[in-house]
Amino acid sequence: MRAWGMAGLAMLLGGLVRAQDDGPKIDFGRDVRPILRDHCLSCHSAAKKKGQLRLDARSAAFKGGITGKAIVPGKGRESLLYKLLVDADEEARMPQKAPRLPAEKIELLRRWIDQGAAWPDSEAGEDAVAPHWSTIKPAPPTPPPGPHPVDAFLSVAQQARGLTPRPEASKPALLRRVYVDLIGLPPTREEVAAFVADPSPGAYEKVVDRLLADPRHGERWGRHFMDLWRYSDWYGYQAEVRNSQPHIWRWRDWIVESLNADKPYDRMILEMLAADEIAPEDPQTLRATGFLVRNWCKFSRNVWLQETVEHTAKAFLATTMNCARCHDHFFDPISHEEYYAFRAFFEPHDVRTDHLEGGAFDVTKVGLARAYDAKPDAPTHRFERGDDRSPDTSKTIAPAVPRSLGGASLRIEPVALPPSVVAPEKRDFVRALAVAAEDKAVADALQALGKGEAVGGLDFAVATARRDSVLAVLEAERLEGKKDEAWKKAAAVALLAQRKLALLDAARAKFVAKQAFDKPDKKADAKKKLDDAEKALAKAETDYQAPTGTGYAPRKMETYPATSSGRRLALARWIASTENPLTARVLVNHVWLRHFGAPLVVTTFDFGHNGRKPTHPELLDWLASEFMHDGWSLRKLHRLLVTSAAYRRDSAADPGGLAKDPENHFLWRMNVRRMESEAVRDAVLHLSGALDPSRGGPELDQNSALTTFRRSLYYRHAPEKEVEFLRLFDAANVNECYQRSESIIPQQALALANSVLVATQARSLAARLDKEAPSDDAFIDVAFLAVLGRSASEAERKECGGFLRQGPRAREGLVHVLFNHNDFVTIR
Amino acid sequence: MKHDHAGCRKVSRRTFLADTGMGFTGLALSAMLHRDGTAPAFAKASAGERDGAEGWRAPDGRPHFKPKAKTVIWFFMVGGTSHMESFDPKPELTRYAGKTIGDSPYKATLESPHLKKNVREVIAGLHKVHPTIYPLQTGFKKYGQSGLDVSDWWPHVGSCADDLAVVRSFWTTDNNHGAQLQFHTGRHALEGALPTIGSWVHYGLGSLNENLPQFVVLGTPLADCCGGVNGHTGNYLGPEHSGVRMNVDPKNPLPFAAPGGGKTREDQAREFDLLRRLNRLTEIEYPDDAALRARIKSYELAFRMQTAVPELFTFESEDEETRKLYGLDQDVTRSFGQTCLGARRMVERGVRFIQVFHGSNGGAGAWDAHGNLKAGHTKLCAEVDKPIAGLLKDLKRRGLLDETLVVWGTEFGRTPGAQGSDGRDHHPFGFCGWLAGGGVKGGVVHGATDELGFHAVENRHYITDLHATVLHQLGLDARKLEVPGRKRLEVDFGKPITEILA
Repeated sequence: MRAWGMAGLAMLLGGLVRAQDDGPKIDFGRDVRPILRDHCLSCHSAAKKKGQLRLDARSAAFKGGITGKAIVPGKGRESLLYKLLVDADEEARMPQKAPRLPAEKIELLRRWIDQGAAWPDSEAGEDAVAPHWSTIKPAPPTPPPGPHPVDAFLSVAQQARGLTPRPEASKPALLRRVYVDLIGLPPTREEVAAFVADPSPGAYEKVVDRLLADPRHGERWGRHFMDLWRYSDWYGYQAEVRNSQPHIWRWRDWIVESLNADKPYDRMILEMLAADEIAPEDPQTLRATGFLVRNWCKFSRNVWLQETVEHTAKAFLATTMNCARCHDHFFDPISHEEYYAFRAFFEPHDVRTDHLEGGAFDVTKVGLARAYDAKPDAPTHRFERGDDRSPDTSKTIAPAVPRSLGGASLRIEPVALPPSVVAPEKRDFVRALAVAAEDKAVADALQALGKGEAVGGLDFAVATARRDSVLAVLEAERLEGKKDEAWKKAAAVALLAQRKLALLDAARAKFVAKQAFDKPDKKADAKKKLDDAEKALAKAETDYQAPTGTGYAPRKMETYPATSSGRRLALARWIASTENPLTARVLVNHVWLRHFGAPLVVTTFDFGHNGRKPTHPELLDWLASEFMHDGWSLRKLHRLLVTSAAYRRDSAADPGGLAKDPENHFLWRMNVRRMESEAVRDAVLHLSGALDPSRGGPELDQNSALTTFRRSLYYRHAPEKEVEFLRLFDAANVNECYQRSESIIPQQALALANSVLVATQARSLAARLDKEAPSDDAFIDVAFLAVLGRSASEAERKECGGFLRQGPRAREGLVHVLFNHNDFVTIR
Repeated sequence: MKHDHAGCRKVSRRTFLADTGMGFTGLALSAMLHRDGTAPAFAKASAGERDGAEGWRAPDGRPHFKPKAKTVIWFFMVGGTSHMESFDPKPELTRYAGKTIGDSPYKATLESPHLKKNVREVIAGLHKVHPTIYPLQTGFKKYGQSGLDVSDWWPHVGSCADDLAVVRSFWTTDNNHGAQLQFHTGRHALEGALPTIGSWVHYGLGSLNENLPQFVVLGTPLADCCGGVNGHTGNYLGPEHSGVRMNVDPKNPLPFAAPGGGKTREDQAREFDLLRRLNRLTEIEYPDDAALRARIKSYELAFRMQTAVPELFTFESEDEETRKLYGLDQDVTRSFGQTCLGARRMVERGVRFIQVFHGSNGGAGAWDAHGNLKAGHTKLCAEVDKPIAGLLKDLKRRGLLDETLVVWGTEFGRTPGAQGSDGRDHHPFGFCGWLAGGGVKGGVVHGATDELGFHAVENRHYITDLHATVLHQLGLDARKLEVPGRKRLEVDFGKPITEILA
């Protein structure tokens, strides 16, 4: 409204003062706007607003900037806009850091102001910077009337376009759809038969509830979230870990278990970003920080943090923060500095591997890779052009979220950590693991004795002494706090045990050196080595004899800061807040995509200005609100979506719908989709009965996926370490996968037709079905039901009948053909 | 990532009708893939009223007019190769090195209207001109009878000068690496993904070899930042018109290349036959399922690829001299040499469109010389110069160059001004590329940038003119390939660069 007032005033003034310039009428659009655009707007528009001045919108332009009104209609020479263009002081002159404007352009601007600075409505521009849709908190719209809110929203758009929704899909098609969708596996023949035979009105809902409660649901949707959260097993050069971490599979198990427990999504965010600050002593929860651990990068801390920033922002907020790493964001109001403020949340954190109860003392064997704050006060600096070689150290940037995302003030409170986290190796179970490791060494040495190796006797003695010394040190450590008599005694025992160990070690070394010296073809330095060893032994003997004391060498172990910065927790709370306009929308969009085959916002990782707008904004907002209202329960969201009529529709096209909405933006039918790579492999194994149902555990060798039968999500998935079969069917891009692609290439045909996996499973399934089907006709029936989840048509029956008459292995061949059938990989 | 799923599904009703018509009168796929000149003309589709495109018909696989070329090899250097230091040398850069453009005699450059109009930015002025002139980082000399100027980093391609038609006046509008996608689709990345040049060719022309994919991608495709798989996909033309990635690795050209589990080829042939029949039956039920059609084709192709593909990359039959020609005897050129030799073997076997990427590095591309241009370009040129020249020479001596159009390009050039101490920034205002063979004149230069290599000033060509030239040489009229309901703009079609056509 105020814009009109300003404009009216400007035009009024324009009329009054027109007399001052009788030259040809300057036209704003033709003459003035191009000058402003070419010379002024790169600093004085909504994006930058240097000096609080905008020249890209009428009302803002007339309002002026910090130094005053830029345009005084009728008074060109008094207007700052003119004055600064002709200013003799090069420092002050506009445009800054650019050549002076040609005199004729300056004159033109002056005359335009003199003529009244007429700025027509058609060019008024957006008054205030209208907030971008995704930055406004979703106000829950009331769904239009109807039995199911999702359908009610959809039907508004459908009716507006004269689209008639398709009827409900056939029962077998619907069952197969919802099975693959919710548990990643197609139904068995028996399950199809039972569903078809159940006429009760709630039959479908019963199935939905059962599948949502099925632990295989967590495995199915766990893989979706592994895509989003960039799950990657460790990778590097041969055995050297360069990216991600060993043991990261525990995070995968956390994802699966969390989904199966219907852990609220907001809680999942807190745990992934800050489990070490909210549950520092709980290893089960700490697994969640695999989200951060995954970005670990041996060679570049900068790359590590870059990826952390980029994908935290993309995964939870669909915000392309990464675009502001080298410069201000081109499309969204996120400044270069704000990028680094976001990075500052992560600046203190690092990755470590903790011991696990019941595990091993050697954490490379059994351990928990988790995040923690190693340097709570690590400063963040802006890097010139994003180059970490040129930090701007003049300013330390504090953690903050971009203003445009509503990051007014986050309360960041340091978190005090318990001793068990600060010195985790002092925990009883770790002490026990240390002892167990020594016990095992003694047992191994004892076994080696039997093999009669020359050093054997000494090896055993050394192992025993080491165990004794570890036990003694642990005992002294246990009593350490008190410094009483008992401690003194224990410390003396420890010291003596350590001296004994040193003595035996030296004796062993001397023995080895002597052996080397006695060899006929001894090396040149053998004598010297023997002399040194003898000297060392003599010293160890002297030490052993020395008066005792409490000066034993304490265990070498890591200790960590007693305080965590609280930064990540603050960030996580802000992301996982019901006040955050993005989080729920972004999640709902991802879930929608995976149920319906197309997202509501096409750019799933970019809800900013460069992204697309939602096709159904009200539906998206309602779902987001409902999701938060339902306690961020994914299970409730799944149930809501898959019980809609839209989800249950037939996927076949009809001419009317195709003509009006060929791309099915308005969901008048269900989208036809191809199974994701994991579902293709798992379905073959599941239907043949070979799928190994065991859950969780360390990642499996990617080269064993054709001959071992665990679910696909358990095989190693890292750049260059992927299951080939899965890769061909568009497995997740390990580095970034907010949406799977769905290619159709001959290599997929080769994989299904030629792989040992499908051939062997076809054989075993055929053998099983064979027993039930005396006649070819019966075999065709059961084979179609078993593999495609539907009956064969007459025409299909005829083709297959002909095929079965061709040879003894034809039945196996038929099952193999059905695994290759279009409708095996297709979800209708 | 921004995969347009809907795009894969889009089918014109007409395409389907044409396909099934063919499918049921002939032998499934083989009938849908026509050899040049032998494809039966089929009746104008009659039932397409609903898409309101009376008179439109699906491509019948034959060229629209007499083609000059059968095959295209499309080299794309990922990241932006410097034009001034390749095929458009600018000695004035060296002469005025260290001066600003404004202080040089060419300050008018900065007043050019192209400076604003040429670039599509969301917020104007974010990309600044780099004012300080940066000298040429390598020398150049004249090559061949034509005396074409080529930089010293490209001596081998230089030795083919008399076969090259260099176009020095390309321009594009994206000053960031979305230009990689743009180079292949013709549209700014902001406008989303569209069919690529290779997929248009695939869509328009029938097969020359029914045992191999007709649109093959060699090298690592674009990274997700800059177009990703959309740099070689068919988008709304359907997935069957997307490029097929292959490894030029004789040991592992394709996974699962032979039947496993003890199946014989005869077993397999019987199974594939039944499979095709069953899928065809499903097609009757779901006539609008483009994915199903694509899958049927993919199986037909897969069956034949099993023998054809390994043979493609078995280089044993290539003699020593040929191997050396491509640089297979040297570490620096071996990898790209194998790619080029694989491309020639594809040409011999009738692959239509071979899209070869060089420099993909998971990000903007290895050619993106913001710094250290000299060392970077020296290394990269050494990798590709000899293999590309070897390919040109090999094609020529085998008589294949006449019908093979070789295209070399990159998403944009580099700035005449220095970026930092030793680099050049992105430069969409003027850059070069070249064509060879396939009915293109040799030893010619067409178009020009100004003295600094800043703006394309003579015979300016937006990149779709290159697409138009490619289609023209293949005998295709882009307007006749249009799909109903898919509006294309004039700029999408471009105009063939007739001046360089023989």
